Amino acid sequence: MASERILPLQSAEEAVATGRRRRALSDTEFALAFGVPVLVFLVLVVAYPLGYAVWMSLHRIMFFGGYRSTFVGLRNFERVLVDAGFWWSSWVTVRLTAEAVVLTMLIGLGLALMLNRTRAARGLTRTLVFLPWCVSTYGAGLMFAYLARGQTGLGTSIAYALGYSQPVDLMTSGLVIEVLAVGAAWTMAPLVAFFLLANLQTIPKRLYDLAALDQLSPLETFWHVTLPPLRYTLFVFASIVTVLTMKLFDFVFVMTGGGPGTASATLTYQIYKISFENLDLGYGAAMSFYLLFLIIASTLLLYLVWGRREVLR
Amino acid sequence: MKRTGFLAVALVVALFWSLVPIYWFCRMAFLTPLEIQHYPWPLIPHAPNPAAFYNIFGFRYVLSGNLVSPASGQAAQIIRGLKDSFLVSLIVMVVTLAITLPLAYMFARMEFRYKNSLLFAILFAVALPPVSTLIPFYAMYVRLGLAGTLSGLVIVDLTLTVPFVTWMLIGYFRNLPPIERLAWMDGYGRLAAFVRLVLPLARSGVAVAAVIAFLFAWNEFTYALVLVNGTTANTLPTAVSGFLHQYPEPGNLAASVLITIVPPALVAYFLQRHVSEMNLVDPVR
Amino acid sequence: MKRRDFAKLAGGTGLAVMTGPWPVKAANAWSLTASSGKPIYFRGWQYKTDVVQSFVDRYNKTMSGHVDYATITGDYPSIMEQKLIAGSELDVLYGNPSQAARYFDGGWVAPADELPNYAEIKAEFLPNLWDAWTYKGHLLGLSYFATTRGAIHVNLKAYQGAGMSDKDFPKTWDDLYDQIFALNAKGVKTPFLPHWFSEWYGISWAFVFEVLNRGGHIADDKTHKPLLTTNKNDLAYKTLAAWKKLWNSKMVPAEVLTYNEAAFIYAYGSGRYVFSPQQLYDLATFNTKGKSQIAGYDGLLPVQGQSWGLLDSALYLITKRKRPQPVTDDVMRFTSWYGFKDNSGQIAVASRWMQLSMLFSAYKSVMESPDAEARIKQSVARPSDARVVLDLYKATPFPSAIWKVAWSEEYNSWLKESLANFLLQNGDIESFIKSSNDKITALNEKYGI
Repeated sequence: MASERILPLQSAEEAVATGRRRRALSDTEFALAFGVPVLVFLVLVVAYPLGYAVWMSLHRIMFFGGYRSTFVGLRNFERVLVDAGFWWSSWVTVRLTAEAVVLTMLIGLGLALMLNRTRAARGLTRTLVFLPWCVSTYGAGLMFAYLARGQTGLGTSIAYALGYSQPVDLMTSGLVIEVLAVGAAWTMAPLVAFFLLANLQTIPKRLYDLAALDQLSPLETFWHVTLPPLRYTLFVFASIVTVLTMKLFDFVFVMTGGGPGTASATLTYQIYKISFENLDLGYGAAMSFYLLFLIIASTLLLYLVWGRREVLR
Repeated sequence: MKRTGFLAVALVVALFWSLVPIYWFCRMAFLTPLEIQHYPWPLIPHAPNPAAFYNIFGFRYVLSGNLVSPASGQAAQIIRGLKDSFLVSLIVMVVTLAITLPLAYMFARMEFRYKNSLLFAILFAVALPPVSTLIPFYAMYVRLGLAGTLSGLVIVDLTLTVPFVTWMLIGYFRNLPPIERLAWMDGYGRLAAFVRLVLPLARSGVAVAAVIAFLFAWNEFTYALVLVNGTTANTLPTAVSGFLHQYPEPGNLAASVLITIVPPALVAYFLQRHVSEMNLVDPVR
Repeated sequence: MKRRDFAKLAGGTGLAVMTGPWPVKAANAWSLTASSGKPIYFRGWQYKTDVVQSFVDRYNKTMSGHVDYATITGDYPSIMEQKLIAGSELDVLYGNPSQAARYFDGGWVAPADELPNYAEIKAEFLPNLWDAWTYKGHLLGLSYFATTRGAIHVNLKAYQGAGMSDKDFPKTWDDLYDQIFALNAKGVKTPFLPHWFSEWYGISWAFVFEVLNRGGHIADDKTHKPLLTTNKNDLAYKTLAAWKKLWNSKMVPAEVLTYNEAAFIYAYGSGRYVFSPQQLYDLATFNTKGKSQIAGYDGLLPVQGQSWGLLDSALYLITKRKRPQPVTDDVMRFTSWYGFKDNSGQIAVASRWMQLSMLFSAYKSVMESPDAEARIKQSVARPSDARVVLDLYKATPFPSAIWKVAWSEEYNSWLKESLANFLLQNGDIESFIKSSNDKITALNEKYGI
């Protein structure tokens, strides 16, 4: 047991020393042994709902005057394409995602750099910085709603404290997506920061010494020494944040309810509304496949323009 | 000195960024309804009181001036929610680890047929938005008798955590030094090398995966809203959201949201220790 | 002969006033004691759940019931609909009349006429709610509460502070808007908080009640055909024009469109606003010390020729999910005990709601009791307002045309979104009216009406 506590190389040597011989599983056997159960689980649990969604998207389902469903082929998919609400929501989703990704990565990087340098009360500082990730997205939705509204907002209170007497209202149709993006970045940045922090700690100090010898400016040092080992993590998290933001529902539902009006009606919100409020299940399912397509296409695009280079590195 | 000054400012900014939204909302937990309606909200509450924390656990509280803050009717659901959420989150955490660690390791380190298509299948599962599987899941669960059960929720949570954690761990395992190759060349079995060498080496990754799985399950709201809402298997998020609608009790809402943050925050405290332990990897490189 | 029996013979002409607890045996000897031993699932939205739980506990204890009570959170009507469609564990639920009509058409809820004591219940009903809650000849459920949503509350302190008094009270919506602008010109920054919040009963209902109050009709009561016109004198046209003017004046914060009900109530309770259409029963909350910043100063605009708000009510509905007959019998017993008279013959639950929160009831004996009068007097800022409350409630209209129809909830969600966009995008009134008519026509077609 003690061997597990010490450095890995030593435990490897110790393992060699014990000289136990066992037939090694081949890669494929290992993959079968561990992969198959998981894949079976995934297929059973994910494929059934997915198949069901496909079925719904090809039907018109009616609940009134007796339940009935009629096969309509691809008509639901066609209807989506001429629906102005769908295009608006796609735009909202893309705008929100782009903003949230950029903010999350920048803030995550900033937090990581700061945490990497901070020595004072390290455990406490890290826990506090990590705290927003512990807040559920619905909780964060509530927090940002209260924070951004004119009635209860921080802006209003500060304005009054400074002697102005105008409320500061950020929940306007022009700004609400930005508020959502900041909120989303608030919840996701700590995770990014922590993974970047782990990366930062693997950078040998002598590289910085060398940089200092070469008289690199802080910016050059950052660019040539600090950034390279972070790039793969940055790419992975840019993809993760893209997916998470595009899937985000409860945050929007709790914070703005898609409003004001439809100013923050993301695709997830739109699909929820169509499927749940209008009970137009076939149409909602069809639209959700467009969302799925958008998510996959964005991550793929991210991979093609950025990730490929990082992975090849 | 200039650097230290800059760092101090950065630290303060980071702490403000992280804590102000929590502070601003959760201060309502310490205010009476009268104070909550004050416009504009004072930056600092004048006379904070703990009434809401008593109320959400089913106790009344007498405020100064003999005002009684009654026990909340949601108390039973909050308590049940806490219990259920702990149970679900812990199970999801353990099962997720058991599944994803070998799976991610396999994808990171091994070559086998169909690897890329399998990888794509997992990525696909990550991309699947809950809103599109919500109704199918509900229909399936009603048929299987899983609607309104904790096991149903565990399964649905696993569909979120397994692909996500696997995806993240693959990158992590790739970065580990290829120590086990040495080991199994020298006679260690595949499995033994994985369990005895890779896992201990990867304990930070294991810790992070555990925390992420726990948090996903702890905070899952969308599925819970439809699958277990209003049943005997009620998790904390749905119980908490009961304070939102129809009859507003913002103080109790804030208090219960604050309570949902506490367990994950404790978990996070342990996580940050593991992040620093990742230094151990360094000498091997 | 007991008085209640007399009342039944008399055809329930308002004589059924309770005077005291009755012996346990009901007139038709229908026992309310549960007998199947199986759980009954009772679900509602979250409103004073401790009170509900205490009633349920009492039923379970005294009537050997196994009622399981919990709340459904989030988007109530649609989540309920999912549960009803799926036939999941759900026996008795809260519902607004518009949902009730839809659920009835979906075949998911059973009408209350199936209760054995239907005749007795019918005799107790007040006519306004009988009209609102009967659909296709059936009574949809038993009385939870009734009130006026969109009663115009007046912050008397702010109103008098602006040099105004009761005699200046606006009589119509047009008067109200004129006065709002006049107050604003006098330096009152936020004279009005409109009912434009983002719930299913928010901005859409605001439009509905304003059109009704002005005397307009969105659709026909019987045929459900759309009735709005693009004529400038059309009452919906006038409503939209007034909204547009108000919105463009920037007197109303845009954020109201994202408020949930909590934010909406608390915004008015902060005392920032002079007028706001709010729930009639919230008068009690607003006038309670320690509950709002305007305690003792919350008044109401009286009815002076024109009604205010709409009849907001909720019923206890009985689901038609598959269950054994003995369980269904227990469901009926519990519903009757809870939604009508308990084992002692008292309309206990409804009376308690009246005392507690000033929730009105469909039952004559609750509304006509001296306790109800006392309760109303206790929640008003000035004694003279008690009369105002009752007059206002009596005059409140009910939107039969768009609520007593299967597509009620769908039109409502369309209205909610379209109205907010109309304001935000400075929409065209004529095209809004046209699209509302088109929507109703399309919905009629969809549901074969």
